[in-house]
Amino acid sequence: MSVPLSQMWTVAAYVLRQKLRRRPRYPLVLMLEPLFRCNLTCAGCGKIQYPAHILKRHLSVEECLRAVDECGAPMVSIPGGEPLMYPDIGRLVKALVGRRKYVYLCTNAILLKQRLEEGVFEPSTYLSFSVHMDGLREDHDEAVCREGVYDEAVAGIREALGRGFRVTTNSTLFEGADPARVRQFFDTMMDLGVEGMMISPGYSYAKAPDQEHFLRRQRAHELFAAVLDRPKRRWRFNQSPLFFQFLMGRLDFECTPWGNPTYNLFGWQRPCYLLQEGYAASFRELMETTKWERYGRRSGNPKCRDCMVHCGYEPTAVDYTFGSWRGFRAALAATVTGRL
Amino acid sequence: MRPEESLEGWVPAVGVEVPLEEVIDCAFDYRGDVTVVMADGRELTGYVYNREREVPEPYLQMFEPTGVSRTLCYAAIRTVRFTGRDTAAGKSYEAWLRRKTEAERPSPHPA
Repeated sequence: MSVPLSQMWTVAAYVLRQKLRRRPRYPLVLMLEPLFRCNLTCAGCGKIQYPAHILKRHLSVEECLRAVDECGAPMVSIPGGEPLMYPDIGRLVKALVGRRKYVYLCTNAILLKQRLEEGVFEPSTYLSFSVHMDGLREDHDEAVCREGVYDEAVAGIREALGRGFRVTTNSTLFEGADPARVRQFFDTMMDLGVEGMMISPGYSYAKAPDQEHFLRRQRAHELFAAVLDRPKRRWRFNQSPLFFQFLMGRLDFECTPWGNPTYNLFGWQRPCYLLQEGYAASFRELMETTKWERYGRRSGNPKCRDCMVHCGYEPTAVDYTFGSWRGFRAALAATVTGRL
Repeated sequence: MRPEESLEGWVPAVGVEVPLEEVIDCAFDYRGDVTVVMADGRELTGYVYNREREVPEPYLQMFEPTGVSRTLCYAAIRTVRFTGRDTAAGKSYEAWLRRKTEAERPSPHPA
């Protein structure tokens, strides 16, 4: 695993504090969406289908920071939309780094080189560009429905690495993914020099145009078992090894929808990053009034039945790691030996 | 509820065809602007981004194109018309694949 020790320590200390306070539900990563606008229209994305007047809007930096302070999570992920299209992205990131939040700026990297040349960002241990890469050139360009994007993203990654930034990749695997090509993709990303990779099965957004290529649970287990079988030592991942064991079908977890709460133009999204069942006006209202028992696989909710996405299950893996000796030993063993 | 893929253009007969609560649920799920017809005859157009029906006074919240956010009680709403374009409708993935396939097909007029 490739997370810096300081970040690992911050997260571990935070989770242990929550355990000592006996908080049954706590946020781990705030998903902060300052805008829905994007310069791509990927077939698997259900985040950007809005009328033009909604797409033109964005949160102010002050609104974003209020949400960050209200939530208190040690990590902030900035997806969207495309955050590099947010006019105040530099000021927002600087303020988050000033608050010692570990920031994952999730980008398709089309604008990354340009923003870096403009001097919008400064390298920091607290800032990582999490570049959306759904596979090798042909696979990625097909997933994002535009040719040439892979090459632009690679150019952005090289520029960021050359300037001393932390760079990770974020990949969604869909039905039909070829394990051998995914493994080849891991090699390619490692050759590029990224700090680590993140992978997740796609979620079947009701609003996404392409509904044919989302993975069902058993297929997902088979795919990830093949992809992660005897992982190479040189592959580095920015995720919990227990989450991978879950993806491979070796551990059974339940979803933790409150682990990655989402804040956007509409407020605090219920119940999670993927489902939009309504909005709360405050983080406290979200945590206290959302009917959590209606979500997760055991609830029987059909929208949750096949979901294995990292925003719901990675917080479970982290909670399991720090919530039991068994979990801690399993995570430690996987980290030290590299075996899943 | 209507079996069509998109609700664009739907003018529901509230109370006869479907209860108001369900129409508002559809409006909340709809990725386009709608026109809310109030009991007093006023019409408000915008995007319904939230609704809460499990409270003593159910309400919806909408953004008007001007950016103004409004909260409207169900009790004050007569109906909702699906007047704006459904931005989630369509087959962009298939369309992209079709374009790509056509582009890759050899030209019938060799140079």
